[in-house]
Amino acid sequence: MLYKLQRKTLVPVQIIGYLITLFIGVSILIATLQFFVDVRSLLSEQTDVFSKKSVIVSKQVSLFKTFNKDGVYFDAEEIEELRSQPFVEEVSTFTNAGFEVSAFTDKSGNVPMFYTDLFFESVPDAYLDVTTDDWKWEPDSDFIPIIIPENYLNLYNFGFAESQGLPVLSKNTITKIQFNIQIAGNGKRKVFKSNIVGFSDKINSILVPMDFLTWANANYSDTEKRKVSRLLVDFKDPSDKAILQFFNAHNYNINKQDLEFTKVIFFFKTGLLFVLLVAVIIIVLSVAFILMSKNLILQKNATTILNLYYIGYSPKQIGKFYQMLTAGVTFVAIVLALICCTLVRGYYLDKFSNMFEATNNPNYIVPIGVFILLVLVGLYYVLLARSIKKLVVPKS
Amino acid sequence: MSETEVQVSDIFLKEEVLFEKGQQYLVVAHSGHGKTSILNIIYGSNTAYQGAVNYVTTPPLKSPFEVRKSHLSYVFQDFKLFTDLSLFENIWLKNVLTHHKTKAEIEELIDKVQLLHKKDALVKNLSLGQRQRVAIVRALCQPFDFILLDEPFSHLDTENIHLVANLITDELKANNAGLIHTSLDGDTFFNYDKVLSL
Repeated sequence: MLYKLQRKTLVPVQIIGYLITLFIGVSILIATLQFFVDVRSLLSEQTDVFSKKSVIVSKQVSLFKTFNKDGVYFDAEEIEELRSQPFVEEVSTFTNAGFEVSAFTDKSGNVPMFYTDLFFESVPDAYLDVTTDDWKWEPDSDFIPIIIPENYLNLYNFGFAESQGLPVLSKNTITKIQFNIQIAGNGKRKVFKSNIVGFSDKINSILVPMDFLTWANANYSDTEKRKVSRLLVDFKDPSDKAILQFFNAHNYNINKQDLEFTKVIFFFKTGLLFVLLVAVIIIVLSVAFILMSKNLILQKNATTILNLYYIGYSPKQIGKFYQMLTAGVTFVAIVLALICCTLVRGYYLDKFSNMFEATNNPNYIVPIGVFILLVLVGLYYVLLARSIKKLVVPKS
Repeated sequence: MSETEVQVSDIFLKEEVLFEKGQQYLVVAHSGHGKTSILNIIYGSNTAYQGAVNYVTTPPLKSPFEVRKSHLSYVFQDFKLFTDLSLFENIWLKNVLTHHKTKAEIEELIDKVQLLHKKDALVKNLSLGQRQRVAIVRALCQPFDFILLDEPFSHLDTENIHLVANLITDELKANNAGLIHTSLDGDTFFNYDKVLSL
């Protein structure tokens, strides 16, 4: 009987309006969050976009700098400034060789004869994208492992070999070719055996183990101080937009591809953030709408509610109907939203499975839905109880 | 009422006024002298006064709503009926709080006040006199120690007044309850133990 009476106080359009707007808001919010979770793992697996945290930084080479090379080096102050940026986790330097390096083959070898001048650099092992057991050097060893950039091989195979009528070489073949390395400097020279042990996608340089270069610099270099022209920078969050601003402002070069990825991530995140913001606004509006409806209904039916109170109904009993109703409608809206999100997710995961390897990401749809439901129902419960109490309890 | 309006009477500005269960009180006053106010104060729906209203019950009250559910019944001057509900629904809405009477007993009461044929009519379609009788029947559908009657017969003819007065008297006896009746002038519908004037 009480519910029959209270049902008459409702305006169906308001409740349906609330249900629909809440459904839309929650659907967008949860679908976007879940989409972010799913896509993030896909991107990090496919392109390393999100997990790639280190980039190589150099200075722009300009006409002016061609004649005054000092401009391409980083001085200690600049490195320190970079290190102090909030988005920078760590800065490491390329160590370069301060001695002459040349490579040549033995006359007796079964590979074509060659002789070339080379340069060596070293980076801390943590930055290497190549894993091989051969990557080590000990002071009494006369073997130096070398890593070259993968695109050197491409350059040779598809450019040089093609035009010179030379055979193309697979990675496997190249790693089997032994050659000699002669280092000279400080009035001394020494010949080592060497071969290529790996190819790097990331670091565009001819790399030797750090241990070797440190030893060789100590013995064969006549200059004490090494000049630094390239840095390895670790970021806390590579999608931080301050990174781009900083490098642009200082005219530093970073790997173009990394730059593109950072841009993509930036727009991707901004887009998702915008959608999330819209979803939150829709939810807030729907909640504000139902709270306004609540006030309207209570004001319009103040006499009915007061009379109920006068004939012996407690504010708790009077409020129960409205509390149950708002909880029920909220529940229905959120369950519909969860079903909708699950369908949407199923749809896009299906599409993804055609393009990428299957990934198993945690499903946050239900936990987020339950969380929103609990927050809203709790909010309505408290606010309704307060409003009805305020309405009926006589002011003294 | 503001303080300046309150005059010394049998109730207002007294140190203590005691209403005893089983006794019948008539409160007489002209319009605007606070008859409804005094009933509302007793009922707990008016708290704009200085002093205290104490309900002496055994066992002690668990919550203030207990008073309205089981100790005080009130026939409001403006009825406080729900016009969108039917006559019977209005009474049932009160009865479900305590399940004091059965459906048959309620129908019998409605029949006694000659409204059974209107049982399912919406209250908004009833006349003032009919509404007044519904309000009285509703007030009888709960256990009570006192029934508060605020000019309950203002829209009734003498025949109907005797009819409902007898009904109320029966219920008073059944509940061993007291009566506080406000009226513009004295009447003889009940056997009053005490007449108070405001």
